[in-house]
Amino acid sequence: MPQFDEVIHQPLRLRIMSALSTLPDKQGMEFSRLKKLTGATDGNLGAHIETLAKAGYVSVEKAFVAKRPQTTVTVTPAGRTAFGEHVLSLRQIIDSGAQEN
Amino acid sequence: MIDRSEAAAALSDIADIAERVRQSRIYQVASLIMMLWGVLAFCGYLTQYLRPRYADITWVAVDLVGFAGSAAISFIQKARAWRIGAAFIILIAFGLLWTIGIAHFTPRQLSAFWPTYYMTVYAIAGLWLGPAFLVIAGAIMALTLIGYFYSGPWFDLWMAFVNGGGLLLAGAWMRRE
Repeated sequence: MPQFDEVIHQPLRLRIMSALSTLPDKQGMEFSRLKKLTGATDGNLGAHIETLAKAGYVSVEKAFVAKRPQTTVTVTPAGRTAFGEHVLSLRQIIDSGAQEN
Repeated sequence: MIDRSEAAAALSDIADIAERVRQSRIYQVASLIMMLWGVLAFCGYLTQYLRPRYADITWVAVDLVGFAGSAAISFIQKARAWRIGAAFIILIAFGLLWTIGIAHFTPRQLSAFWPTYYMTVYAIAGLWLGPAFLVIAGAIMALTLIGYFYSGPWFDLWMAFVNGGGLLLAGAWMRRE
């Protein structure tokens, strides 16, 4: 039975995971691009990325590119699996017409 | 936890984000390839204008570097675009068959044919990939035809800036988008 994931299901975290899971394996997305894509503020996005990182769903890499700090967020294999399961669980909710609680 | 409508809304949001990421990646890869071909086309047309007797070999070199570079960009960006590459090979073979094999186009006709031919493909691709392709294709085709009919002996120089410069600028703009 696919697992509904409360960590992923928060709206902004769902968008983050959706964006990152669309990329090929091991390819990450820059913080600034993720921010533009999700429409989040710096602080809000940072906080949710940290939550996903603590859950082991994303990894965060900080580097300097042309003397400017750059943060890249990449979905982990565990995160990709968890997101896939979560999508399946959403589809199952729709298909079964079930109400949870 | 959630009901059907919330689940449906979440899936819709997921699909929307995924589609935007996919389009963004297409633009990212396409922009690099456009900029590469822009530089090469500029050099090709400029050489053709300044040294017309070397035009044939120049364009062979431009095409070889262009296709090798496009394949490298696709590989590095993990674009898995082998079908696109194969489609272009088929299109080029068809173009060569008619321009050189059957109809024997003049150099001026060839200079106008190839960019308008490729831009037709871009325009068709734009119906699926995004409006930027349609706009770029339309602009370059229109300017090419204006030059073909009205630029007189400056056509190759015109094309260096229209085709070469146009692709370079378009790629840079698309990269920002």
